[in-house]
Amino acid sequence: MLGNAERLVWGNRELILEGLSVTAQVCVVAFLLALGLGLTACLVRLYVPLLRPVAIGYIEFCRATPIFVQLLWVNYAWPEVFGFPYTVMQAGIVALALQSSGYLAETFRSGIEGLAPGQREAALAVGLTESQAMRRIILPQALLTMAPSIVNQLVVVIKSSTLVSVIAIPDLMYQAMRIVHQWFEPIEVLTSVALIYIALIFAISATARRFAEHLRRRYGLGGET
Amino acid sequence: MAEPPRHLLTVRDLRKAFAHHEVLRGLSIEVDRGSVVAVIGASGSGKSTFLRCLNYLEVPSSGEVWVDGVPMGFSLAADGRRQPDPPRELARKRAALGMVFQQFNLWPHLTALQNIVEAPMRVKGTARREAEAEGLALLRKVNLEEKAREYPARLSGGQQQRVAIARALAMQPKLMLFDEATSALDPELTGEVLDVMRGLAGEGMTMIVVTHEIAFARDVADRILFLNDGRIEEDGPAAQVLGAPASEACRRFLARALH
Amino acid sequence: MFEALSQSLDPALFWEYRQTLAEGLLRNIAVFLLGAALASAIALGVGLARMSRFRALRAVAVGHTEVFRNVPEYVLLVWLHYVVPILLTKAAGARITFDPFFSAVLALGLAYSGFLAETVRAGILSVPTGHVEAGRALGMPGGVIARRIVAPQAARRMLPEALNQYVSLFKATSFISLIAVEDVMYRVAMVASYEMRPLPLYTGAALIYCVVIITATTTIRLLTDRWRRRGWV
Repeated sequence: MLGNAERLVWGNRELILEGLSVTAQVCVVAFLLALGLGLTACLVRLYVPLLRPVAIGYIEFCRATPIFVQLLWVNYAWPEVFGFPYTVMQAGIVALALQSSGYLAETFRSGIEGLAPGQREAALAVGLTESQAMRRIILPQALLTMAPSIVNQLVVVIKSSTLVSVIAIPDLMYQAMRIVHQWFEPIEVLTSVALIYIALIFAISATARRFAEHLRRRYGLGGET
Repeated sequence: MAEPPRHLLTVRDLRKAFAHHEVLRGLSIEVDRGSVVAVIGASGSGKSTFLRCLNYLEVPSSGEVWVDGVPMGFSLAADGRRQPDPPRELARKRAALGMVFQQFNLWPHLTALQNIVEAPMRVKGTARREAEAEGLALLRKVNLEEKAREYPARLSGGQQQRVAIARALAMQPKLMLFDEATSALDPELTGEVLDVMRGLAGEGMTMIVVTHEIAFARDVADRILFLNDGRIEEDGPAAQVLGAPASEACRRFLARALH
Repeated sequence: MFEALSQSLDPALFWEYRQTLAEGLLRNIAVFLLGAALASAIALGVGLARMSRFRALRAVAVGHTEVFRNVPEYVLLVWLHYVVPILLTKAAGARITFDPFFSAVLALGLAYSGFLAETVRAGILSVPTGHVEAGRALGMPGGVIARRIVAPQAARRMLPEALNQYVSLFKATSFISLIAVEDVMYRVAMVASYEMRPLPLYTGAALIYCVVIITATTTIRLLTDRWRRRGWV
């Protein structure tokens, strides 16, 4: 079995690394896009009364539709309706970003709404303007308290990204299945890939948990993950 | 129309209504420079709203607040017409009144010293070095110099409130507003905060103190206001208001508060 | 674009294939129910093991939770379906294969047992120690305290979060077609390629999922709010 592992896993290390790098690209781009979309949706929901129903509809749709369904929908239906996306890579990234932006918008909202009103008032009382209070007092605290759940959302993106292999994006899972189909020996490759994902995700979520604990101890902020 | 300089604070017919409920029903007072005014009254009598209207954290429904000859919320143009203050101008005026909150409201993501230097640096543009030197001096004044680098979560309630007082003083306010500054503290921690307030009064700081500490009001205040249902029902020296109140409501309030 | 938009909704198409689509959905519901039952049973055991006096048992429970919370569901699904039968075949000496339906229930049940175990643990920890001590002071034996004092309170406190985990589990049943379970998305893909009209089919599927899930989460929120008002959770 070790011989097999050497032949199948080590022998295909370049393919596996290539897949890992595509996974990393997809996840990072999708996550950044999700942060932007999520923040926009959240701010519109909170501060633009006219467009509030649109923002709520967007957020609820993104959260309520399974990622796999969104992926197929964006990949097969969008090009006909919007003439976009042009490549499977774009479709995968957009679908992952859609899904996460809904969750992130709600994270941002609870972060902003969860702050005690006294924090803003104390800022105004010493003469800061509303926008200074937002920038210097509200946002830093909101970001600190939200950081652990934002990182957890990155974990969700990585987990969901395994599905983009289905629309032929050459990510880690795609390369793994390719090797499996080539040799008809799934044990070593699939086990290794599963362990890679577990280790990667464990490292990220453990970091988030430690950071949350640090926040609780040092600033008495939040504390829940 | 220049204000008479004798009074540091002039309030004229101040009213505040929320939705359908009128909390302040026309308050007028004048406060002399260097005097300490205690405001007492049952909960719901409008004490906190009164303080919050003075620095425009709540915008009054009507009435005027003048601080050292400067009107809050509007400015007088050359032709005598009133122009509402833009946000930045209102923020600047607000800083002339230091405020201390019941819940301290220290910013948890900043250290004690950072809490103090934030406003001088951002509002007045004081250089960091200078702001920190002044901040440390203020911390020394409230006996917390050694806690400068601690975050609020590591300080006791009494220590947090003393930092909050230092934070308000850092803007060199003309007037200090205390909103039930000791109500959220354990009884054994109120002393250290009251001592700092007593010290400030001794230095000649003009103070308006909303409090339920009748003993403190008697010892420190030059003058006591009794608020009832959004109106000033008693206004006079401590001995008069506490010793021989004219209003029935005040007598009942004192009877309850002192037992 | 507007023409495409109007084409993207075609209820008649869904009506035409209602039977095959509904049959697919029933598969999803079956996988969901069995998966949820499996996940709950494992989670209860693991959650209790986390509180055990025995260090080894606690370690196993922590390991279980970490592995299954961190493995992507799709990877677990593929691994269980393709790798485990081969390992079992080698061990047993006889050819063993898994039915896709079985693999799907097992994979989703295991994956969500990790999340639910954390919910169980949090629920048990949320019961104030004073309540246990009060039971002890009255002379109640440990088993009675666990059954009559801790369990009812813990169950109420974990219920809202557990319901949300079940919703996630239902969403995850959408990709079991990837190991050839003939579920609703499997049939959507089939009809889409047969009719050569992916647009209305995938749009319709997204909308239907969206409506079902929003109905479920709204119901859960309303119920939870009502329970909170009554002081029940």
